[in-house]
Amino acid sequence: MDDDELITAIAAGDDTALRELFSRHAPWLAIRLRSLLPATDTEDVLQETFLAVWQGASGYRPGSAGGWLWGIARRQAALFLRRRGPATLELPGLLAINDSDGDPAEAALSGVVMARAAAALGPDGSPEREVWRLVYVEDRPVAEAAELLGVPVGTVKSRAHRVRRLLRVALRMGTATEGGAS
Amino acid sequence: MTGTNGPPDVDLDRVWTGVAAQVWLRRPGRIERLAARLLRSPGLARALVVTPSLLIGWVIATAVVLLAGMAATLGTHTPYVALFDPAVAAAGIAYAYGPGIDRAWELSQSMAVSDRMVLLARALAVFGLNAVFGLLASAASGAAVAVTFGWLVPMTAVCALALAAATLARSANVGVAAGMSGWVIIVLAGKAIAGQVTAAVASPSLVAPYLVFTACCGALVLYTTRIPRGAA
Amino acid sequence: MNVELEELVRRFGHTQAVAGVSLRAGPGVFGLLGPNGAGKTSLLRMMATVLPPTSGRLELLSRDPGNHAERREIRRRLGYLPQNLGYYPGFTVVDFIEYFALLKDMPPRQVPRAVATAVERVGLGDKARSKLKTLSGGMLRRVGIAQAIVNDPELLLLDEPTAGLDPEQRVAFRTLLREIGECGTVVVSTHLVEDVGAACTEVALMDRGRIVFHGTPHQLTARGEGTGAAGDAPLERGYSAVLAAARS
Repeated sequence: MDDDELITAIAAGDDTALRELFSRHAPWLAIRLRSLLPATDTEDVLQETFLAVWQGASGYRPGSAGGWLWGIARRQAALFLRRRGPATLELPGLLAINDSDGDPAEAALSGVVMARAAAALGPDGSPEREVWRLVYVEDRPVAEAAELLGVPVGTVKSRAHRVRRLLRVALRMGTATEGGAS
Repeated sequence: MTGTNGPPDVDLDRVWTGVAAQVWLRRPGRIERLAARLLRSPGLARALVVTPSLLIGWVIATAVVLLAGMAATLGTHTPYVALFDPAVAAAGIAYAYGPGIDRAWELSQSMAVSDRMVLLARALAVFGLNAVFGLLASAASGAAVAVTFGWLVPMTAVCALALAAATLARSANVGVAAGMSGWVIIVLAGKAIAGQVTAAVASPSLVAPYLVFTACCGALVLYTTRIPRGAA
Repeated sequence: MNVELEELVRRFGHTQAVAGVSLRAGPGVFGLLGPNGAGKTSLLRMMATVLPPTSGRLELLSRDPGNHAERREIRRRLGYLPQNLGYYPGFTVVDFIEYFALLKDMPPRQVPRAVATAVERVGLGDKARSKLKTLSGGMLRRVGIAQAIVNDPELLLLDEPTAGLDPEQRVAFRTLLREIGECGTVVVSTHLVEDVGAACTEVALMDRGRIVFHGTPHQLTARGEGTGAAGDAPLERGYSAVLAAARS
């Protein structure tokens, strides 16, 4: 049976199909997750992933089983991290998981990465850190941030632009050293 | 279980076991959960719920017999419910027992939740269920109060007889046969001696002998189930 | 010492099925060999607390099986596969194993994972939710092994466990025995001599209710050398030699 047939069978309640799907796909999913998470967390997330497969198989549209599975794994990893806290995850890994629109500042606001993200912007108190804190963390309008910082609105905007650029650079550098975390 | 391996420090077999545990999980029903809490033993509750004579088929058959008895009583004023229920209960209790009906009996004898506890729990449950059904049918059929309740004591005696015979002979069928024939004999003897079929269930003077008989059978059951018997 | 038997006797009417057996067994895999009627099954049933001894001393897992409370403690840590298991046809594989796990007083929260582990260990992962009536004899035997190991027993008693198993399954089974024998005692009663040689660390040979040999498989093999006893394999020759000597 090919992957599409297996998943259809799983949706119909066939547990042996789930077992077969697991033996085919768990190894590569584990490898991918392992590049992002420590071993015990990988095991937990992988378990949650396949339980989610068991429950959500009816929502699968035939196409790329691998992509669908990785999507579930990524979502489970994000859920897992949100419950557990930042632990030892690297910034690029987190961004790979929180794949939202490619805006690194938005992605970093998952609440989990703030310390790491902030560190990438320079020492505490630097202009970029302040803008980051006011505009992105505290979600204030640009005009208000400008008021609080005592600088023109245009300055706030250009600093925000710098914040985004710094994070993107940190991301790319991190990705290069990780050896390509997807 | 997996052919190709994942990362060396990730135990995929353990992950699958975790998934399988959830996927293969059986969720106990409400009755089983309640029984587990009351009996303080999930194993005993499960054993009770899978008792052959408590399964839905048997329960429906019992209800049908008693309904028939009720209808017959309403028609003829002979309290058939009082006459049927002891026999049905005796059969049900004998079928709760041992090698006659439990194919994995040898294994059951090595369990922490002992087969004797299972037997007693099942016997009580079958008896209780039959008593409730019988009381409802009896009351609904308008039989005299003495007869409505009067058959509970003889029912206890007949059930004890069936159980004692089953445990002695190590066969559920022997138990059923003993219970049924014992009851028939009592009823016919009652008719012969006192002239009416209901004598067996309606005479207060029989209560004491019935109870003594029940106690003896009960002791016999406890004895035969306490010492695990050797194989022939 | 997980098992201590001293002058154990079991009588049925006038016959002595077990005629005075003394044995001590610690962790490891212990093989019990002998022809049919030698008393192996009765001995195993006494160790499974299913049969009381007629006389003699029996101590299991440092507890006295004659005492009700201690017997229950023994049974919680016991795994037993009788020769004729019997099964409930309408039950599924996991139903059956779970039923006996619960009857062994396993905490309900631990049961699902323990059942899943046992099912996979005996290689029935793709039959987990199949009804027992659809399984072959060898598969049913493996279900029996699974229920015996589900509670990670300290004392595992197996009566003719490999009946119906093909050679590949027997190899997997021997690996399983060795794993369990690392921390607990496994007693395997069998008339298949080659099973014993491959998996057991100690062997006892029974004949007519008595133990006529107790030692390692290697020592049993040695008993057969140079005697011209019957048998295709060295262990079989040792077996025949010991039996012949005992009966002469």
